[in-house]
Amino acid sequence: MRFAVIVSFGLAAVTLSMNNTASADPAAGEDAFNANKCSDCHYTRGPAREKTIADQLAKKGPELWYAGSKFQQPWLEQWLQDPQPIRNMKYNSVTEENPGGHPKLAAGDAASVTEFLMSLTSSDVEAGIIKPKRHPMGRLIFVKKMPCSGCHQFPGRKFTGGNSGPSLLHAGTRLNPDWIYAYLKNIDTFKPVRAMPNFSGILSDREMQSVAAYVATFE
Amino acid sequence: MAKSKFTTAVLLLVGMLGVVTAQAEEAEQIFNFYCAQCHGVEGKGNGPNVTEDFPVDPRDFTQAEEMEKLSDADIKNVILEGGPIVSKSEMMPPWGKTLSEEQVDALTKYLRKLCNCVGNAD
Repeated sequence: MRFAVIVSFGLAAVTLSMNNTASADPAAGEDAFNANKCSDCHYTRGPAREKTIADQLAKKGPELWYAGSKFQQPWLEQWLQDPQPIRNMKYNSVTEENPGGHPKLAAGDAASVTEFLMSLTSSDVEAGIIKPKRHPMGRLIFVKKMPCSGCHQFPGRKFTGGNSGPSLLHAGTRLNPDWIYAYLKNIDTFKPVRAMPNFSGILSDREMQSVAAYVATFE
Repeated sequence: MAKSKFTTAVLLLVGMLGVVTAQAEEAEQIFNFYCAQCHGVEGKGNGPNVTEDFPVDPRDFTQAEEMEKLSDADIKNVILEGGPIVSKSEMMPPWGKTLSEEQVDALTKYLRKLCNCVGNAD
């Protein structure tokens, strides 16, 4: 009897879980995205539109057309409900600090919008290549050989990074490790006009993979 | 006839000034977008990345006596290849895969404007 109850409860839980998955509806999420005016600042249809610095400066917020390849779903859903600044500087500014105040979403809308954003993937991100690892080569490149730390906050001991780029604190829970590598490898595909140098062709493929693995360990 | 020539000359001059102004504005935009994050919008080496524990002092482009030591070719090389090409810090990244030749030329001219100097080796 007790066994039957446990099995029934387990089946119910599985069914509920499957129903939750089945109810995932990116189209409803897109409606919530637009209703919450997210589309006023973020575009979600690729490929990248920016061709000039003026194009980039005209944007109010980051493009999201590859969000499903870039972010980790649990982080995204949580962040939409309690958005803390990722950049120390205001978007597109090197003189004004980020004032914060990104709009918050209620839990239901956050889940729905997350479903939509996670459906926006890029075929340029190959899954299963990068595993988080405190790679000595990755660390050396990030901190010394190339000036990644000059612009990005990171969990360093003495020097904790610059302010102009997005902070990489908690990158291990925010970013998809495979996207970090794909971004380093094909940065022009994702962001043709940005303040970060193109390191592809300067760093080898192996070096870029080691940096991605290292960044993916950041807590 | 003379009046017509004069008008044409004035129009040409105005056109040329317009092109020069547009190029200067474009150079400033390139500088502010890529370089100011470390060198500051006034080029004094005090961009938002330069916190108390930043490992180096980015170059102050307004210091003519230092900037005069660099030729235009030196400046272009550093922009393209990064700091280590002139035994300077790795914190200056290589922009060779990012900026076009025209953008590097425009930046070099803009830096000369900031220092109000020419390179002694030029």
